[in-house]
Amino acid sequence: MGERLRALRGRIERFARPRGPEALPIELHRGRIYVLPTKFGLFFGTMLAAMGLGALNYNNNPALLLMLLLAGAAQTSLLSAHLQLSGLRFVASGADPVPAGAPILLRLHARSKTRGRARRGLRVDCDDVATVLSLEDGVGDAELALPTHRRGWLDVPRLRVSTTRPLGLVRAWSWIWPEQPLLVYPAPEPAGPPLPDGDGDAALARLHPLGDDVHHLRAYRRGDPPRTIAWKPTARLGNLLVREYERPLSADIVLDWTKLAGLGSEARIARLARWVDEAERDARRYRLIVPGHPPIGPAHGPAHRHACLRALALLP
Amino acid sequence: MNVGRERLDPRTRTAVLLAAGACVVPLLLQLPRTLAFGIAVAAVAIAIGTWRRPAAAWVRVSIALALAIAVFATMGVNFGRDTGCAMLAAMLAVKPAETNTMRDARSLVGFALFAPFATFLLDQGPLSLGLGLVAVYLALLAMQRLSDVESGQARNTAPGWKRVAGVGRMLLLGLPLALAAFWLFPRLASPLWGVPDRAIARPGLADSMSPGQWEDMLLDDTPAARLTFFNRTPPPARMYFRGPVFTEFDGRTWSRGAGAFEPSGRVRPVGETFLYEIALEPTDRRQLIALDVPLDAPAQAFLGRDRTLRVDRPLTSVTRWTMRSGNVERFDETLSPGQRQHHLQLPAGLNPRTVALARQWRREAGDDDAAIVQRALGMIRAGFAYTLTVSLAGRDAVDQFLFVDKRGYCEHFSSSFVVLMRAAGIPARVVGGYAGADHNPIGDYWIVRRSDAHAWAEVWLPGRGWVRVDPTAAVAPERVFDTLEDRARAQDTLLGNLAPMYDVGDWMLNGWNDFVLGFNAERQRALLRPIGIESIQPERLLLLFSVLALGGLAATVWLLSRDLRERDPLLRAWHRLGKRYARLGLGRAAHEPAVDWAERVHRARAGGDEALRGLGVRFSRWRYGPAPDAPGPAGDGLNALLRDLDAHRP
Repeated sequence: MGERLRALRGRIERFARPRGPEALPIELHRGRIYVLPTKFGLFFGTMLAAMGLGALNYNNNPALLLMLLLAGAAQTSLLSAHLQLSGLRFVASGADPVPAGAPILLRLHARSKTRGRARRGLRVDCDDVATVLSLEDGVGDAELALPTHRRGWLDVPRLRVSTTRPLGLVRAWSWIWPEQPLLVYPAPEPAGPPLPDGDGDAALARLHPLGDDVHHLRAYRRGDPPRTIAWKPTARLGNLLVREYERPLSADIVLDWTKLAGLGSEARIARLARWVDEAERDARRYRLIVPGHPPIGPAHGPAHRHACLRALALLP
Repeated sequence: MNVGRERLDPRTRTAVLLAAGACVVPLLLQLPRTLAFGIAVAAVAIAIGTWRRPAAAWVRVSIALALAIAVFATMGVNFGRDTGCAMLAAMLAVKPAETNTMRDARSLVGFALFAPFATFLLDQGPLSLGLGLVAVYLALLAMQRLSDVESGQARNTAPGWKRVAGVGRMLLLGLPLALAAFWLFPRLASPLWGVPDRAIARPGLADSMSPGQWEDMLLDDTPAARLTFFNRTPPPARMYFRGPVFTEFDGRTWSRGAGAFEPSGRVRPVGETFLYEIALEPTDRRQLIALDVPLDAPAQAFLGRDRTLRVDRPLTSVTRWTMRSGNVERFDETLSPGQRQHHLQLPAGLNPRTVALARQWRREAGDDDAAIVQRALGMIRAGFAYTLTVSLAGRDAVDQFLFVDKRGYCEHFSSSFVVLMRAAGIPARVVGGYAGADHNPIGDYWIVRRSDAHAWAEVWLPGRGWVRVDPTAAVAPERVFDTLEDRARAQDTLLGNLAPMYDVGDWMLNGWNDFVLGFNAERQRALLRPIGIESIQPERLLLLFSVLALGGLAATVWLLSRDLRERDPLLRAWHRLGKRYARLGLGRAAHEPAVDWAERVHRARAGGDEALRGLGVRFSRWRYGPAPDAPGPAGDGLNALLRDLDAHRP
């Protein structure tokens, strides 16, 4: 029963405008705003009908006027709900990419030319997620956390902008379907081997307790292991000194798809995504080589990370 | 975001409970005092007691049961209109105990709106109407608040007056529609089901008259009827308004006799007749009142042999009747022996002194009935006084009044007089109704008040038929025909100064009654008469209503679809052309410039399509070229281009 009802509902919704994704800006007009009573509205309507029947039957004019007054207010609330949506323009949408699995925060920027009209508490929803859009001085933003499941382009689903204000008797709604897709990065694997060694010039040396070359001496700090204490200089100067070591590190790591033989395609992507994040965290230059794409980098920084993760996300 | 299940915040709860309270108040005012007080106390206690947490189910059920029992204890077990209303009030009082979520709150507001509706079934006075309006306002405010909470605007920072004004605006904007529907919506000429009676009757002219029954009414100054005379106005002394006629007496109570429902006999009016409209306040009884002696029955009313008017259904709202009354000659000139017997009937063994006096008068007067009547009036005039404070009557009530107390009001005078007449062998009966009326100078109509209630006697005299005799008028004519002004003059000052204001108030009320309360199927038909619809069946009216509504809807759809189309006629014509080519599979793609498309079509079609190429160029020039007022190719005006575009076929 529920299944059939849902199928029927789906079929009806396919008739609703818009029937396909559309380019921004999207302006809501009366050709695409739908209004139907809510459950409370149906209850209220039934009540009014009962009142009207009783009033007509008893030829009781005050009762009839009462009913008509309420009906008039309900009708006005219907128009009011419609007008809250009518003329609303969605001018921009966008989202910062997130790894697959995390919710992506879709931002919708809305404007309205009619300043005087209150457009508050508009509900923007899609399946189970919902948010509230309120316009102040004709401008407002809504942020909708959409669930993501896989890497690549996420098509924005058909979103519903609706309101039951001012009386909760009717729901006016309109569908918006921005065509601009959202990018979802691949989900990095949770744990795995460390970053591969670089093979470029030793342009950068990193302090590392397991290094071979003594880098310099510094004053003892609590917690330093005793074996790092440089006894001879300590004896000479009279206060505890500690040796610090460094290990030469290559700045340019190569993250190469082809070297990860033995793993499945998705596993390789997950590992490379983790390495990109780790390299970025360690502020190291890295170069990504994936099939079907010219090598990216070496470089580092947010733009480079985005280029790499985007390439990984869009791998077939 | 499942808002329906969340608990209400205190502010919302306050708004909802206030709205429900405002809805119940006018209803409580119409219920018996003690019951209304009990329900109000229970409601307040429940609202406060369940403020923090909902009451347990058994508490709710037991309170509801207790209130229901209280209702039935007060109203009795016969289920009347007011019993239903009292039950509604009681249930609304209990409802806050289980009002926790958004859904509960909404159903409470919805059901509470039935309370003003129920009030109007009991009473349609200005107070009920005003309170009902307040209730509607508060209910809509509560609904607005609930909707605010639902849409995440619980902390709405808009100032209070703005929200109040918002609801007012909604009501005002809906008002024209409401009024149009009020006057145009087809009315039922006859109801589908009857109005249930009230379980507790209002004091008023009943089908019987017993001692002490009228005292409440004689002190009640509210209007009972309003009259507008069309041709001439009777002098105050003739303003007797005939109500029920009582013929049967059991020593204590007068009631209508079995003969009351015989159809009327013939009467002959003498002198002037009065044509008037009478607007009766609701009485919940079937009795109409009419000036003096009604000459014919208005539609839907039944005129009895005793010239009283009755209707099929109790008068539950203000009703208006057009009537003709006048003096009649030889009213029931011949009385059948059965009738005569009926009007001479007296309870055996009661009031021996009265009977003895009457027999003595009869012996002295011989056949002269009129002399006996005059003698009785003379006796009353000589030694009797009018007062509203009377001692309780004993077994021989008439003896006590005529020989001991010698003071009382119309009920005593008329009752005793009729007993005296009957004992003397003159057929007689008591007539209940009203006497006297106030003139409202602002609206030029007359008001009959409930305090004008009166009872007088009718005696049957040979050759003359029934004749009205008012023994009370013999004693205290000023008490019979007094008016508010008279009383104001007597008391002077305050009430006297207020009288004009009262007149204005009543005039406005009368207008409201006239235009709103008295609007019915008949008046609706009268409304249609000027536009040439003489008489119309309800089905036809419904059909007409539907056709007009559908016509309006179609016009709206047409206007809307017009508005959505392309405004530029040139683009419209161009798109039409594109559609014609699309049928051949050569439609213009969305990204394709006009000239490129024409070129493509030209190449694709065997034999080319020079005409389209030309049109494409002209279209581009018009649409994208220099401004139209710049010198263009001769003859290539917009109209010519439009014509060519429409004429072109692929």
